[in-house]
Amino acid sequence: MKVLVVYCHPNEGSLVAAARDRVLAGLRAGGHDVRLTDLYAEGFRPELSEWERRHHLDPPDGKPDIAPHADNLRWCEALVFVYPTWWAGQPGMLKGWIDRVWVAGVAYELPDGANRIRPLLGNIRRIMAVTTHGSSKFVNALEGEGGKRIVTRSLRVLCHRFARTSWVALYSVDRADDARRERFLARAEAAARRLR
Amino acid sequence: MDVVVVLAHPCTDSLNHAAAHRAEAVLRARGHTVHLLDLYADGVGAAMSPAERTAYHGEAPLLDPVLQRHAALLQRAGALVFVYPTWWSSMPAILKGWLERVMVPGVAFVFNEQHKVRPGLTNVRRIVGISTYGSPRLYVKAINDNGRRTLMRALRLNTGLRTRARWVALYAVDTATPDEREAFLSTVEKRMRAL
Repeated sequence: MKVLVVYCHPNEGSLVAAARDRVLAGLRAGGHDVRLTDLYAEGFRPELSEWERRHHLDPPDGKPDIAPHADNLRWCEALVFVYPTWWAGQPGMLKGWIDRVWVAGVAYELPDGANRIRPLLGNIRRIMAVTTHGSSKFVNALEGEGGKRIVTRSLRVLCHRFARTSWVALYSVDRADDARRERFLARAEAAARRLR
Repeated sequence: MDVVVVLAHPCTDSLNHAAAHRAEAVLRARGHTVHLLDLYADGVGAAMSPAERTAYHGEAPLLDPVLQRHAALLQRAGALVFVYPTWWSSMPAILKGWLERVMVPGVAFVFNEQHKVRPGLTNVRRIVGISTYGSPRLYVKAINDNGRRTLMRALRLNTGLRTRARWVALYAVDTATPDEREAFLSTVEKRMRAL
């Protein structure tokens, strides 16, 4: 499969960076064709600007700084997110990538006078997220798993009608011992290898 | 009471700015001390920096002077009001990033001896969220309103569950009539008077 990996963490040496490496290893072992987006490494600007807000329904041709990201989204068949869950959701950096790249003409179209959007990313048949949570599964359930819902609902409805999603998560990461961390990494690698 | 109003919209002529300024005017007229934090105007970055991530669990996690000022205001506030457009069923990156960068250990929460999270903003007795949505109400309900959940649940776990929380929403904003917009702003004013 053609797989786009979107990775977001500020620090090398983190568990999430290790998860990225294991996901990439798994994807290679599975014979997938991979592109990697490393938002911090490329210095992505996450704040949607005033100009972008005013032109958010314009065709994407006039937005050259998101063009490579839009091209990756149209190219891939599977989308893999690797990030830490902060405040019940994607880090601001990753949320900004969604805000700025998943725009009209790339992810959806909004016909005149309508307020329901039409999906444009029918090429994406598979979505996977690999993430760590500081708090326990119980607290995350209380908080409503917002980040998970953004991936499995908000983004999925813009992809293929039968797009499947999967979730590889480590909860209570600050209290996880090395064995639990390793099990998490192994799960991420295996899920990447078997992706289809 | 000290009220912190957090505004996250890039356009100063937006309905969100109008709502924030209406809220501010009503609160001032009621005798509250209002601090309007316009995240775009303050140039707040949405991405936690590598240095901030490294400092997060240390003694001094707040590195940015703007955020140090915001954190000091939060620690005195009796009420927090958030005004933002809902994008992708959640808050704009700039507001999400602000939460991550300012609501750090020692401000929003503290770790006790068992390394469990305990509320740090018990001074906050009221939270009000004000948001505009491109989608109609039913669509938002079906997909889920994650920005609202983050503020009403995740944040409220850090202020104490006795904190009262209210939500003011305008759905399908792109097709809303001038009357509907005005009704929304009136509801904002009503909520602020009741604070």
